[in-house]
Amino acid sequence: MADPVSVEEVAAAMFDLVKSTYGKKNLKAMDLTKAMIEQFGEDRCDKQLCKQAIRQLIDSGKCTYSYVGGSYITLPPEAGS
Amino acid sequence: MSASPRKTDIGPPHYEQFLPPIIKKNYGKWLYHENPRPGVLVHVAESGDKLYSVRAGTPRILNVKTIRLFADLADKYCGGHLRFTSRNNVEFLLTDESKIDALIEELHDLGFPVGGTGNAISAIVHTQGWVHCHSAATDASGVVKSLMDELYPHFVNMDLPAKLRIAFACCLNMCGAVHCSDIAILGVHTRVPEIDHANLPKMCELPTLIASCPTGAIRPATVDGQQSIHIEEHLCMYCGNCFTVCPAVKINNAKTDGLSIWVGGKVSNARTEPKFSKLVIPFLPNNPPRWPETVEAVKHLVEVYAANARKYERMSEWVERIGWPRFFKLTGLPFTKYHIDDFTHAGETYKRSAQLKH
Amino acid sequence: MSEKKRETPLLDELEKGPWPSFVRELKKSADTPVIQDLLGQLERSYEEHLGHWKHGGIVGVMGYGGGVIGRYSDLPEEFPHIAHFHTMRVNQPAGWFYTSDALRKICDIWEAHGSGITNMHGSTGDIILLGTTTDQLEPVFSKLTEIGFDLGGSGSDMRTPSACCGPARCEWACYDTLAAVYDFTQSYQDELHRPAFPYKYKLKFAGCPNDCVASVARADMSFIGTWKDDIQMDAEQVRQYAASGTVDIQKDVCERCPTRCMSWDGTNLTIDNSECVKCMHCINVMPKALRPGKERGCTVLIGAKAPIVGGALLSSVFVPFIEMEPPYSDLKELLEAIWDLWSEHGKNRERVGEFIQRVGLGNFLEQIGLEPVPEMIAHPRTNPYIFFGEELHEKQA
Repeated sequence: MADPVSVEEVAAAMFDLVKSTYGKKNLKAMDLTKAMIEQFGEDRCDKQLCKQAIRQLIDSGKCTYSYVGGSYITLPPEAGS
Repeated sequence: MSASPRKTDIGPPHYEQFLPPIIKKNYGKWLYHENPRPGVLVHVAESGDKLYSVRAGTPRILNVKTIRLFADLADKYCGGHLRFTSRNNVEFLLTDESKIDALIEELHDLGFPVGGTGNAISAIVHTQGWVHCHSAATDASGVVKSLMDELYPHFVNMDLPAKLRIAFACCLNMCGAVHCSDIAILGVHTRVPEIDHANLPKMCELPTLIASCPTGAIRPATVDGQQSIHIEEHLCMYCGNCFTVCPAVKINNAKTDGLSIWVGGKVSNARTEPKFSKLVIPFLPNNPPRWPETVEAVKHLVEVYAANARKYERMSEWVERIGWPRFFKLTGLPFTKYHIDDFTHAGETYKRSAQLKH
Repeated sequence: MSEKKRETPLLDELEKGPWPSFVRELKKSADTPVIQDLLGQLERSYEEHLGHWKHGGIVGVMGYGGGVIGRYSDLPEEFPHIAHFHTMRVNQPAGWFYTSDALRKICDIWEAHGSGITNMHGSTGDIILLGTTTDQLEPVFSKLTEIGFDLGGSGSDMRTPSACCGPARCEWACYDTLAAVYDFTQSYQDELHRPAFPYKYKLKFAGCPNDCVASVARADMSFIGTWKDDIQMDAEQVRQYAASGTVDIQKDVCERCPTRCMSWDGTNLTIDNSECVKCMHCINVMPKALRPGKERGCTVLIGAKAPIVGGALLSSVFVPFIEMEPPYSDLKELLEAIWDLWSEHGKNRERVGEFIQRVGLGNFLEQIGLEPVPEMIAHPRTNPYIFFGEELHEKQA
């Protein structure tokens, strides 16, 4: 992989995406993953890296899972309202 | 207690710690089993050891106080070892045959009947209903309780041609395996959902909502200047999938929700292949607290089956032998246009031959 | 706070009759305000013929996206103690075996932090703890993990796998269902707790073709135990069954065999094992005389589901026969390949069975890297609209 992005960078970019689509579009883990691979390029970002980034977003409390007939990744209630 | 680090992803406890000594000793070395009386199984190991399982029905909803009673019985009769079955029965695992009668008596005194083995009706697997579910067209526990009160003799006896498995689901989501049961009772919605246009844009995401409809009946629309949806009524078959992704599309309807009855499904491979249950009664009224129409219909189906099926024939095998025309004749159930499929691959359910009994 | 006891004349009707009553189970905790409100709201549903729960939202324990189902009353002013009434799914021990001690510990936790009402068990197999508030989720979770239990699945994740009692108490188990379900569950904790799939994915392990866990109807992947060699027979025991009069060997066994591969001359039962489809009927009828063969493994089937969204499906053959030995590397490789493909190309809320219907089983197999075999189908296609690919002529050239 040429010059890979760090987990932190991917997590930050994911967070921006979740924030910018908040209330408009529900994003699933795979939506975030596809968007990141598109943004950073296949040679710099892969599914495994995205998985780690999602884990970091969720474990840090910056994002949380929601359920609306399916599971999505969104902002925690306090931050979103 | 000092604060220990937060544990995650430990998974379930290893099963071995819960197995009684006789199972650990004879694990994978069972030779055969017998069903000496209703609700009692004896498994005989290659070593000659015998394990007695005593099965009792439960209402699935269990108070922790009742679980503690089961735990006490397990301590008293079987060294603290018990299990549950895939149909919500509790099973006590004994090594001492002489204790079986006393255990059965105690279970009876506590209100838990012993049975559900062999050619019997085992406990009805069911869903949450009004006790805990958002999309329930009817209650689950109440209908099941009403049914089992009537079918009770078939739980505590083994007097049917074959085993009979009944399942109940309170909506088309079917979180119970009702679609492959000898008799299935299914809660149904029968009217187009009511749309809460004022709250819909706040509560729901439109693309997901539109995509949720299996027939494409949901179209974007502007209502009172707000983004909302419109439902093409003629395309809606009341599945409630839209409600699951959007609470503002209200599928539950006190006046028009009801129950339907399906027969002839199975999951086992014994004799014939697994198959889906088929519609026999499209709609019965939602009539709590005892749902007499539904109870009567199921009881009738069990009686007609028991009187006409041959030994080892499950509901599906009996119906296949006699044919659906005779099934409707024997049961006296009206056959209507609702019985004829009109969804994907409906044509495969039409009778495509001249082989008929006249 | 003085709590008035709610009148429940309709529910009271369901305390009568011989079958154990769920109303009685609820009323065993009638002294708590939570159960008073639950009974009150349920009575209201019985009066109105309408449910009063709202679903969804953001509830869970820290880090997990599965295991907690958000549930709210739509009459919170009238029934404040069940305004939040969330379900927790606890991953059951394999085969649902327990000790009284373990059950008591779970009961104590749930009495202290929840409604005290459970389902033993839910449809997928978990222990269901029915009803608590958001602030109690973490305490319950931490106490559960302390006694060695963890949460199960919910939402778009691998759902809690389940298994029949298998070799622990069944002579028909063709592989160790308990070892397999434990191994797969532990291997895929991340997939169980952190939803990353298009929709749910269920695994069920049945030890023999009787399929006591209904895997063929309900599991996205069903592992159904079976065997390849001859049915084991104890000829003397066959004669015993005949002599006892409990079994009419000709009528009840030979004539009920789906392939008619058995014959009985009054003394000896002969089986043409090459014709046997391992349906279990003869073995079910005469468990003392007949047993599955010795060369055991399982058939893997794929794609079962209930109707939502595109209609119900039974699972269909994916791997006709495979030995089930730890560490199950081939099967895990296959499972991960399926997850990978389906996660990338599956639509939102599309189960793998529906995905296969959409893309075609042939294409699906090609992507997974599995050869098509005739065991996978009931019959070859009758429809002549074939999407021929370029490779057809490349191969011929």
